[in-house]
Amino acid sequence: MGDRLRALLKRNEAVLLLVFVLLIAFFALTSENFLTTRNITNVLGQASLAMIGAVGLGILVISGEIDVSIGSLVGAVAIPLVVVMNQTGSLELGIICALLLALVVGVINGYLSAYVGINSLIVTLGSLFVIRGAIYIYTGQKAIADRAALESFYQIGNGRLLGTIPYPAIVALVILAIFIYMMRQRPFGRQLYAVGGNPEVARLAGYNVKRTKFIAFVLCSLLAGISGILLSSRLGSAVHVSGLGYEFQVVAAVVLGGVSLAGGIGSLFGVALGVLILSFLSNGLGMLKLATEWQQVITGFIIIGAVGLDELRRRRR
Amino acid sequence: MSDISRPAPAAGSTLARLTQNNQIVLLVTLVLLCLVISLGAPQFYSVDNLIAILRQCSLVLIIAAGMTMLLIAAEVDLSVGASLAFSGVVAMDVTNKTGSVALGVAAAILFGGAVGLFNGLVVTRLRVNSLIATIATMMILQGGVYLYSREAVQNMHLQKAFTDISTGYVGPLPVPVIIAAVVVIIAYVVLRHTTAGRYIYATGANERAARLSGIRPERLKLIVFVVTGLLTGLAGLILASLMNAGQPTAGRGFELTVVAAVILGGTSLTGGRGSLLGTLLGVLVLKVIDNGIIILRWDQDLQMVIPGIVIVLATYLDLVRKKNDAT
Amino acid sequence: MAGGGDRARSFNPILFADLARKNFGSREDTLKNTITTLLLTTAALAVMSSAALAQNLPKKIGYVANYSTHEWYQNVIKGMEARATELGIEFEMRDANLDVARMVSASEDFMAEGVDVLIVTPVNEEGAVPLVRRAKEDGVPLVLEGNPVTGMTTMVAICDYDTGYHAGVAAGEYAKEKLGGVAKVMNVGLPLLSATVLRSNGFMDGLKTILPDAAMVHDLDGGGNPDRALEVSSAALAQNGDINIIYGINDSSSQGGLQAWKAAGKSQDGLLVVGTGGEGLGFINMMDTEPSYQIEAAMFPEKVGFTSIDAAVKLFNNEAVPAHIVSPTAPMVGTDSWKQFYSLEGTTRTINWEAVNAITPAEKCMKTAADL
Repeated sequence: MGDRLRALLKRNEAVLLLVFVLLIAFFALTSENFLTTRNITNVLGQASLAMIGAVGLGILVISGEIDVSIGSLVGAVAIPLVVVMNQTGSLELGIICALLLALVVGVINGYLSAYVGINSLIVTLGSLFVIRGAIYIYTGQKAIADRAALESFYQIGNGRLLGTIPYPAIVALVILAIFIYMMRQRPFGRQLYAVGGNPEVARLAGYNVKRTKFIAFVLCSLLAGISGILLSSRLGSAVHVSGLGYEFQVVAAVVLGGVSLAGGIGSLFGVALGVLILSFLSNGLGMLKLATEWQQVITGFIIIGAVGLDELRRRRR
Repeated sequence: MSDISRPAPAAGSTLARLTQNNQIVLLVTLVLLCLVISLGAPQFYSVDNLIAILRQCSLVLIIAAGMTMLLIAAEVDLSVGASLAFSGVVAMDVTNKTGSVALGVAAAILFGGAVGLFNGLVVTRLRVNSLIATIATMMILQGGVYLYSREAVQNMHLQKAFTDISTGYVGPLPVPVIIAAVVVIIAYVVLRHTTAGRYIYATGANERAARLSGIRPERLKLIVFVVTGLLTGLAGLILASLMNAGQPTAGRGFELTVVAAVILGGTSLTGGRGSLLGTLLGVLVLKVIDNGIIILRWDQDLQMVIPGIVIVLATYLDLVRKKNDAT
Repeated sequence: MAGGGDRARSFNPILFADLARKNFGSREDTLKNTITTLLLTTAALAVMSSAALAQNLPKKIGYVANYSTHEWYQNVIKGMEARATELGIEFEMRDANLDVARMVSASEDFMAEGVDVLIVTPVNEEGAVPLVRRAKEDGVPLVLEGNPVTGMTTMVAICDYDTGYHAGVAAGEYAKEKLGGVAKVMNVGLPLLSATVLRSNGFMDGLKTILPDAAMVHDLDGGGNPDRALEVSSAALAQNGDINIIYGINDSSSQGGLQAWKAAGKSQDGLLVVGTGGEGLGFINMMDTEPSYQIEAAMFPEKVGFTSIDAAVKLFNNEAVPAHIVSPTAPMVGTDSWKQFYSLEGTTRTINWEAVNAITPAEKCMKTAADL
């Protein structure tokens, strides 16, 4: 059963990989500016923000839960980050405070969903509004400028290693590698799959279902927090409207990557491919001078097509 | 608890029993809200304000009637906001081009129905999770509406009948309120007193069991998606009439108002439980809060924070009740 | 949850839709006559002069729009395309779709492609600060449209406060003559953006120069979109029976306010509706068909686009440009007033360049975001 499942998942990823390669080939042929080092590294940098969030959401969805408040959180963490930096002149302190906020949100979401047992879609929909509302009230609906003007703050989101690879891409890659290792090689990864696949069976097998889910919520929030810190650097400030719609982007990528919303099925490698496909699609369609409305329509159909095909294949087995 | 899944009308004589009924809690909340708001702003009870609230409610309610059935059947449709805007654009455009209000009305409702059919087919045939499928449809419609018309479609036909759809009165009641009432009553009867209604509950509660007992869940769900779509088209028509324009930008986030109201009304996200009376009360509570914040001149950002907390709280209370029921 | 607007804010940022464009730089230096002359130059003349001066023309200009599906930006883009085509410059637009992160990404993409000049409408002013620095590092000249950003070279924008102010003066005169000198205003505003707050402030200040007793009876957040504006206006109109002027910070807002008025079954006698922007067909239709819709604070988006391309050419040639290039605005007063500046054929509106170019823009804004 386990082997079969794995073989199946491999096939799903193989399909995604094929789609990805075809996509790259198509844009490379149709647009002369697409396949340049500069453009590819650009897109990798852009994709990394969604990638970091998608890793977190990916493991959470595999555990059978969801978090739609990550967009609001991405916007929110920038506030303690920039405010603390402005007051102390320390990037490290700012980052710590930003991550603390993410931790608190993750703990609240996780506690209400995993321990109290409220449907996580409802809980996090509630946090989505409460956090965004709080951002607006706190900032008076204005962006908070970065007055500390630390070079390190600018560099984490805008700098490039050896002038080529954007730092956010490196952060995303490291996070992705760590979590892929964890999901495949560590007991916690198995617990996540077990808990998401069938909580009853997982409980009987001696896993602590509630705790596992709780930890997944916290990890998801922390990763969204990291993404928010990098975005804040790219924006050089705490922008009250940043992160709007981020949750949609990330959910779409996770689902496109083959993670089942029912839990228990999916892989982070697939999630990474989902993110890359959507990012390169957006970049390439832009180069083809397709208007935003076409991009929305095409993305919508791709999601339906990909998930539909995936489901069809699963049923055939 | 749903009206129907309750085994027998429990003779709830004690207060404890009363508070266990979600609808009574909502009703009390509603009455308290009205009292508190009217203390702070006596104009709350003016006819103008009550009609304004009812008109806002009716738009939400028409779609919420369909959404309630969908959620009971354990599905959801997040494309209703985008479909609302698109069908409004279609209504105005067709009426402009043909000069016929009847054709405009038909086009809007049919358009909504077609969107519902598309959603239903994707969910029941392709087996795509309805949350994802309808988010994708939302993207398609949001892009598509601009491909259809890059600008808001203005009222060029100047037909009074078109305007009357939203601002006309029959006796003392605004037309949209009457439309909403009719929709809710029909949906109520269907859910409570017909075989189809029982099947919807059964499908949502346990699809496999429903199938074994001879129900065809796919077809049933498809029909409910189409009904929700048709109702969304109807609401889009009313909105276009109210705005006097087909606005591609309208309806953003409308789906969440609808879903929030339905959930607040006690319908379960996991299917099988829910009632239209609850939805009606849920819509009223949310819209009264919304109206109250403006009338009391509070910070309008609270219009986002308070409902967020209310929904989580309501779901929590529902959970507590369920646990009490179980013990 | 609450009304459409709020949710929209969180999920689909459309709300701030149109407005991010205007705001003001605090300083305003030496523009003066040079720029006035430029603005007065007709299209044909411009072609000749550009040829005559043998200016170097950029090959390609990229524009990152705030939200290209909105009518305002569609007409800004129309103006840019027209001017670029006229000068023989390749023009390409990409859309941030109200997402600050996408604004940065789209600009990055353009710079990677090697555009000669970049024009950006910042989705948010603070959020574009690193972008300005990166454009400098890359040596790509950057023209901002609408919103000023710390460290920028130049910005093309209208004066929001002044636009509201002049419409307020016109409204005051109208109210003095037709409304018995009473002015009770419902402001269908948008506190989210400094630009829209400036418009509302300007409107009230202008109004008070004519009618010192004018009062803002209810100050609303209409989210800048019509359905939300309608919803909040309904409540405010029910609460305040004495409102006789509806001011909208954009055309959608004034339309929402007016429709709420009509839905309440009120007669438009004794009502004045003032819209802002003149961004699409909506205001033309309302001026034509609604007796109360008498004043439009027009902002001529096509002209903003035209001026932005000219500014881009100047930057490309290392010419000195002022920090804020003012694009003109003017109140249109009376039912047929729009016909002076626009002609309408079917659903296509065409700007009357002669009339718009003849408006002298202010040299300096009366108030800017820095004064808030």
